[in-house]
Order: sequence, then C-alpha cells, then structure tokens
Amino acid sequence: MEVAVKLARAFLAAGAALALLAGCGGSDDGSGDGPTEVVFSYLWAGAEAQALEQVIADFNASQTKIRVKGVSNPDFQKQLAAMSSGKGSFDISDHFGNGVGAWASKGILAPLDEYIAKDGFDTADFVPSALEQMKYEGKTYSMPIALHTQMLLYNKKLLSEAGIAAPPQTTEEWAQAIAKLTKRDGDKLTQLGYANAEIGTSLTTLGYAFGGEWFDGSGKATPNNPGTVAAAKFYVDNVPGKYGVGAVRTFTSGFGEYASPQNPFYVGKVATVIDGEWQAAFIKKNAPQLEWGVAPIPYPASRPDLEDTTQVTTSTLFIPANAQHKAEAWEFMKYLLGKEAMVKFSHALANLPARTSLLGDPAYADLPQFDAWLQALKSPNAKALASTPWAAQYSTDLNSAFDDIAQMRKTPEQALAAVAEKTGSYE
Amino acid sequence: MALDTATMLRRAEEARAAVPRARRRRGNPLRYAALLAICAAFLLPFVVMLTTSFKDPADVFRFPPRLLPDRWSLDNFGAAMDAMPFWRYLGNTVLVSGLAVTGTLLSCPLVGYALAKLRWRGRGTVLVLALGTMMLPPQVTLVPLYLMWDKVGLTGTYLPLVVPSFFGTPFFIFLMRQFLVNMPDDLLEAARLDGASELRIYWRIVLPLARPALATIAVFQFVWAWTDFLNPLIYLDDDSEYTLSIGLYNFFSEHGVEWGPLMAASVLFTLPALVIFLIGQRHFVEGIATKGLK
Amino acid sequence: MSKVTARRQLQGLAFASPWLIGFTLFIGGPIAASAFYSFTDFNLFQSPDFVGLDNFRAMLDDERFTRSLLNTLYLTVVGVPLGLGLALLVALALNADVRGRALYRAVVYLPTIIPIVVATYLWRWLLNAQYGYVNRIIGVFGVDGPTWLEDPAWTKPAVVLMGLWTVGGTAVIYLAALQDVPAERYEAAALDGAGAWARFRYVTWPALTPVTLFQLVVGVIAGMQIFAQPYLLTQSRLNQAAGGPDDSLLTYGTYVFQNAFVHLKMGYASALGWVLFLVTMAITAVLLLSSRRWVHYGS
Repeated sequence: MEVAVKLARAFLAAGAALALLAGCGGSDDGSGDGPTEVVFSYLWAGAEAQALEQVIADFNASQTKIRVKGVSNPDFQKQLAAMSSGKGSFDISDHFGNGVGAWASKGILAPLDEYIAKDGFDTADFVPSALEQMKYEGKTYSMPIALHTQMLLYNKKLLSEAGIAAPPQTTEEWAQAIAKLTKRDGDKLTQLGYANAEIGTSLTTLGYAFGGEWFDGSGKATPNNPGTVAAAKFYVDNVPGKYGVGAVRTFTSGFGEYASPQNPFYVGKVATVIDGEWQAAFIKKNAPQLEWGVAPIPYPASRPDLEDTTQVTTSTLFIPANAQHKAEAWEFMKYLLGKEAMVKFSHALANLPARTSLLGDPAYADLPQFDAWLQALKSPNAKALASTPWAAQYSTDLNSAFDDIAQMRKTPEQALAAVAEKTGSYE
Repeated sequence: MALDTATMLRRAEEARAAVPRARRRRGNPLRYAALLAICAAFLLPFVVMLTTSFKDPADVFRFPPRLLPDRWSLDNFGAAMDAMPFWRYLGNTVLVSGLAVTGTLLSCPLVGYALAKLRWRGRGTVLVLALGTMMLPPQVTLVPLYLMWDKVGLTGTYLPLVVPSFFGTPFFIFLMRQFLVNMPDDLLEAARLDGASELRIYWRIVLPLARPALATIAVFQFVWAWTDFLNPLIYLDDDSEYTLSIGLYNFFSEHGVEWGPLMAASVLFTLPALVIFLIGQRHFVEGIATKGLK
Repeated sequence: MSKVTARRQLQGLAFASPWLIGFTLFIGGPIAASAFYSFTDFNLFQSPDFVGLDNFRAMLDDERFTRSLLNTLYLTVVGVPLGLGLALLVALALNADVRGRALYRAVVYLPTIIPIVVATYLWRWLLNAQYGYVNRIIGVFGVDGPTWLEDPAWTKPAVVLMGLWTVGGTAVIYLAALQDVPAERYEAAALDGAGAWARFRYVTWPALTPVTLFQLVVGVIAGMQIFAQPYLLTQSRLNQAAGGPDDSLLTYGTYVFQNAFVHLKMGYASALGWVLFLVTMAITAVLLLSSRRWVHYGS
C-alpha cells in the first residue's frame, strides 16, 4: 500500500509542477486596456535579428497603441506549424518572394489589398518586378521589405595581371577573359576565371542574361528555351568542359567558407563571380584589402537589348490568415515599409531597399560599390522568378538539372528537357 | 508473513555479490596505445571546437588552419553569453531536461517491468506496438501532433515537451525491458510467495537492482532533452522560454556562421551535459547488479 | 480465466498503463491522422482531398523516391553494422582496469552530447578536401583524400564517418554488458586452453548477442530515418532542403521532409512515411526471426 501511495505522490507532485508550467507559458494578449500586442515572428537570427529588434524598439517608442514583440524563429517548420492551427501564434512574419504563390494558393496568407486601399498606401514607389512577385491571382499577399540583385564581381588585380583592361561587357569578351584568367599547374587548377557562387541563383540569372525565360507570360514553367540552354552551355564550355569535371571539382572542393576571409573570390582563387549585394558588407568586413569591382552581367554581343540583365529576389513580409491582430499587424508593416525603417533595416543587413525613391539614399554610401547593385534595380531587364504554387518543386528540379549539367552527366539540352517534362505534372 | 524488505534486499545483494564478475585484465601498453588512439579520434572535433572558441576572429579563418590559437582570448565566450539570455536559457533547459528525466524514470521502468517480468495477455503486442511507433518518421506526425496540442490550448507552454515523457518513451521502455528480462526470477517468486504485492516487489527489489539501467536511461534522456532543438522551437512561442539549443541559432545568419561565438556557445552548451554524464555514469557502469543485457 | 491469471492480467495492464494511456492520448491520434493523410492530397492547410492509392502509385514512378530509398539503405546497411562493430571494439578496449577509465568513457560519449547542428557544420569544415583535418591526416599516409562533400561517391561515406564518431552511446551500453559476463566462464575457457580469440568467440560474444540485437534493431530504425546530418550537410544556407551532389545525400528522411514542408505535399509525405514504416518493419522482422539462430539468452 505504502508503495502505491509513494508512487501516487510522485506522480501528483510531478503533475503539480507541470500545472505550474502550464501557467508559466502561453502569454495571452490581455485585450482591453493597454497596447495591443502584435507578435512578429521572423526567420532572421544573430546580428540581423538585433538590427530588426532595433527597428521594432523604435516603432514601439513612436506610439502607444501597439506593442510589437519580436521572436526569432530560425526554422520555418515552426512557421508552418503555427499557421496551420486555428489561432495564429504570430501576427506578422517574413518569407521569400517566390514562395508567396505557394502559400497564397493555400489560403494561409491574408490578402493585403483592402488595407492598402483603405489607407491609400502608395505602392508606386516599390520596384515593379518585386511587387509582381507579391501577387497571386491578382491579389497582393505580401509586401517586399528587402531586395537582392545579382551583379558580376571581378578581381581587379587578377584582371590587370591577365592584361584585361576593363571588365567584360559581352559574353564573348567574358569567355575570353575566363580563358585568360584560368591558370593551371600541371593537372591541377590554381585559379578559375569563373565559378558559381551558388549554382541555382547563378545559372537562373545567366539564363535571363542570355535572353532565356524560366516562365512564360501565363505563369507556366519554361525551362527549355534557346536562352536557358545557351546560358548552361556557356558555363559548361568555359569551365568544366574545357578543364575537366574532376579538375574543377578538386579545385572547388578546397574553397573556404562563403562568409569568411577564405571565400574563394576574396583570396583570388576565382577571378569573376556572380553574386548579391550583401557582398559589399561582407568584403568590407572579411577582405578589406581586396581590389574588386562590380559590373553589369555581360550580354551576348548579338543582343544588346539584354544589357543590364539581373535577377531580383525579395525578402517579404506577410500576415498569416489566422493572425489575431491583422489590423495592428498592418500598422506595423506600414512602418517597416516606410522609408525611415526600410533604410535602417536594409542598410544594417546590407540588402537593397524595396522603394525606388531610396535607391540613391546617402545612407548606403559607406557600403563599398553598393551603388552598382542599387542601380541594377532600375534596369528594365531586372527579372524575377514568378511566384507560382509549385515554385519550390520547380526550383528543386532545376537545381538537380544544374548539378547534372555542371558535372556533365547530361548535356544542357538533355537536362533542361528533362525538367520540361516534369513541369507537366506540376500543380 | 510479510517479508522484511530489508531481508529481501540483503538477499538480493548477497546474490549479486556471489556471482564473480569477469576478471578485468590489467592494462598493457598495447591497450593503452589503442585507448589513446581511440580517444584522439573521438576528441579531435571537440578539440577543434574548444580551441576555436578561444581564437580571435581573424585567427579562426587563418589559412592553412592551425589547431591552437595564436592568442587565447575569452572574447567569444563573452559574445556567446551576450547574444542570448544565457542563464535564462540554461535554467529553462535544466527545467525541461530535469522534468523529462523525472517522467522517464517514473514511467519507463514500470512499463518495461510489465513487458519483462509480468505474464499477461497482450504483452507481446504492446512491445511490438511500442517498437512500431518508433518506425514512423517524425516528419509526418509533427504537424498532427502540434495541432492536437493546439486544440487543447497547450502550445506555447512547456507541457508538450515534458508531459509525454511521463507516459513512457518506446526506446527506453525497450531498453528497460532488455535489462529486466534477465533479473533472476527466483527472487521475485520468493517475494510473491511471501505475499508481497507486485508494486512492492517493483519498488523494493526491482528498482534498486536495476539502478544501473535507470542511470543509463536517465543520462540518455537528459542528453536527448538537452540537445533537442525542434520540439522546443515548435511549441514555445515566447523567446524568454527558449532553451539553449535554440539559442545556438543566434550565430547562424543568412549566409554564414559566426564561428568563434558559436564554438564558444557550444562549449558552454556541452559542459553541463558532460558533467551530468560523469556523475551518472558512475552508477550505471561500476558495480552492475543485475545480469545486465543478455 | 483463473483468479491468478485474471489478477496477473490486471497487473500487467496496470503497470503498462502509462504507455497505453500515453499512446492513446499522444501517439495514436497523430499516427491515425498520418495514415489517413497518406490516402489524400493534403497541403497542411486546406481540407484533404481523398485520392485513394494515388500517392502510392506515384511512388512507383518517382525516381527520387527510389533514389532516396537506396541512399538510405546504403547508409543503414553500411553504417549500422560498422557502428556496432566499432562500438564493440571501443567497449572491449575500455573494459580494462586502466586508470582514468571514467575519463575515457566520457571522451567516447562526448560526441553524442554536442548538438547536431554544431557537429555537422564542424564536420563540413573538417571534411573540406584541401584544408580539412580529415584529409590532412590522410595526407600523412601519402594518400590524397577524396573530395568528400562534392564527390557523389564519397558523400555517403562521409556521413557514415560522422556516424561512427557518435558510437559513444552504443559503446557505453556494450560496456555495461561486457562487465557482466561471469568470470567463471573465462576461467573455464582458459582451463580448456582457449586463446584470446576463442575466449571472445565462445564466452564474450554469446553474452553480448542480446544487446547486439537490441542495438541492431534500434540502429536500423534510426538509420532508416536519418535526416539531420544530410539535411545540414547539403544546405548552402539555412532552411534549404537539397539532395547533395547528384542527389547522393537525398535520404528518405530528407525526401519526406521536402515533400511535407517545402512542397507542402503532406499527403504524399505521409504515404512515404508509411512505406518507410513497412520497410523498417520488414527489416526488423528479419532481424528478430534470424535472432533465434544467433542470440543466446540468459543462463
């Protein structure tokens, strides 16, 4: 009997402790008097989160009706789980532009058009291609807070050593430059004229640069067209095709960490690379002695209309459909999208602002060469991947194809045709 | 006549002592060499972690990399503790892990005993069922489970993290069962014949004899709970309740990792768990009472 | 039913009740839900559409499904026995009355305490083909190490290597079992003139077979679900789910994750999950059936 009692007591004590715990957690918003609490759950962490928290603090200090609480949730499984429940545990969050379609089509994003209309919020200042990505079936489901473009970075010293006076403007010049900039020591490569910073982004950008399209006007996937094939061919012909897949792989496998002083571009292992605007801050921090330049991505000589092509990607803000304080969340979103907050935040992250009026803002002056990326946003050839419901699937299949192409397991035509076949079953 | 529990226990101890343990052979140079080699291999990543945590940022990425820091600095530890409310997270982690261990120790031996020593219909089925639940990948039950907790309004608290351990975890139940299966039946039969209740036998004879097994599952459960990242992240809404493993993500950013502070934070993260292990392992390896896992 | 049997039945159920209740409350529901979803087209947010066996039929045509299954079987069939073997060797080495034994044990167990995201990123660094310590150590023997994380042929061995690093838990359990082999058996064997290998084969090993069975079963279950290391190794930034070079690191777990959370095809993911369940069940059944031949219980 005594044992049963002891066991029962143990369980009861544990139960009591747990009951206490239940009270410990789960902060409900006390509605009534006092400011409405809005929960901002964001994917950013570390230094970026700190920059965001500063903006949040500024907002909270600027008015008394709404109090925003920022929570760093670095894994998006948390976002998805929270958005699937009946009562949302957060009111506003961030995501990437080409994921809008997928989430909007499933009804988990709150459309923002009503709020925009009611407040007369002026969307004309926003970069058009970015704004397009925010829409699904004509409705706006997100707003862009930070943008990214891709440019050609080049190592000035290596170029001058190779006798190249100016960065290449056409793809033909670029091909010649790559040849001059690739050095070998016996079988082993010691320097590559070009390497992909991140193959998915680089090859999709190149696809645009060669006049290809990844989507057609009606939002269908079109991976296999002359432009995209030409882009893939350009890479293969000038790098692995010429120097050997094995040699290239041996060389690239020794590359240092991307966000470190050992980044292959910083240490002169790679002479040209296609990369995003955050490099301005990264290089300043990790490789301040590097002599580098930024140039528009080259275009085929026969297609001068493709000059200044770039790919635009976006970081977006959204309000989940199950949010409990949508109106207040919108107030906060307006603040974040306002010029002051946007400059502060994008500058801290070394990302581009989403407003065209900010593209010349002096606040970015301390980021070396940032202006090049800023101006790229104005280009008529600034393209963005469409945000369709199956964008993630398309992206996965494309990356697989790019891997096959770069490792020369398939020719560009074969690989991209294979993706085209798969797109038939996207839904 | 109710058997004096002290006598029961004494008899058990005598039985234990009577069986001579396998003689452990004395160390010879070859064995030492093997041990050192093994230790070096297992330690290398941790040594890298440790030495990196003392390095200056430029030193971390020195090329070619050198193991020892140029200059030993505590800056990273300061940064690690600044980047997150370290002591709060530590306290939260201790709370969650401690409760999980308590729950496991209360429930798993009970169920393990039922599966090992009691004879009842359905015993085999329950074992297979428990094993079976381990075979479904967690990704497909993650959201239904979350929604279930959400429906009873308990997301945002520690309860989803802790309560399930009070009902038993298949891995530990299975482990306990294996440990207990080889406990000598005669001891238990004698006690039963003397009229002791099953619960009393469990509490007075089985648990003490199973101490090494209990220590094993306690340590393992502690480490599991200590290092769990996804469950605390999914169920906790308030970042003041976060655990240390979530805090580690403060050093991951969009394109890179802050190596120095991350390594420092990882060292700080690992130390308490290591201490618990050192304390606990004294119980489960030295002086094992039962005939262990056979 | 006799009174004794009835009482025994009640006792058994009572002792097992925590898990039985817990199963009903926590596990049963989600498991049933996932089984239901596997017959539906479900994106996590909108009502599921019943589609019968379509998900399962789709698997037959899905080359990534086959690929992920083969990758996972490789990792399990190679990794689990190697891991057990190493754990046993380590336990044998530690089963000596050497000084500082507790410290050696702690060293061996330490890798399992390090959080997996940290450990994996650390290994990414260690496995760098040029400056990583692994290849530098290999280089000492005059051989060029492989390009671990970029060569499709070497990515899985890299994961196996990382797995071997964390055999501490298994080793500790083996150690417990080793210290339990009665000395009289060794003495009897020695009297019979048995050498070290024979002693191991006829005294030590049989005593270890039950725990080996446990570790095999548990190891296979874990191996078939391996997710975190491949997921973290193939990312170029957080929250990306990729398959590695030539999909060589696309494990079943990663593929389920991709379908569930990236493509929001929860119905298909659930179906995949249940197929994994069946495959794991089958392997476990084979192990358990075969165990009658090689596992020695008690006495």
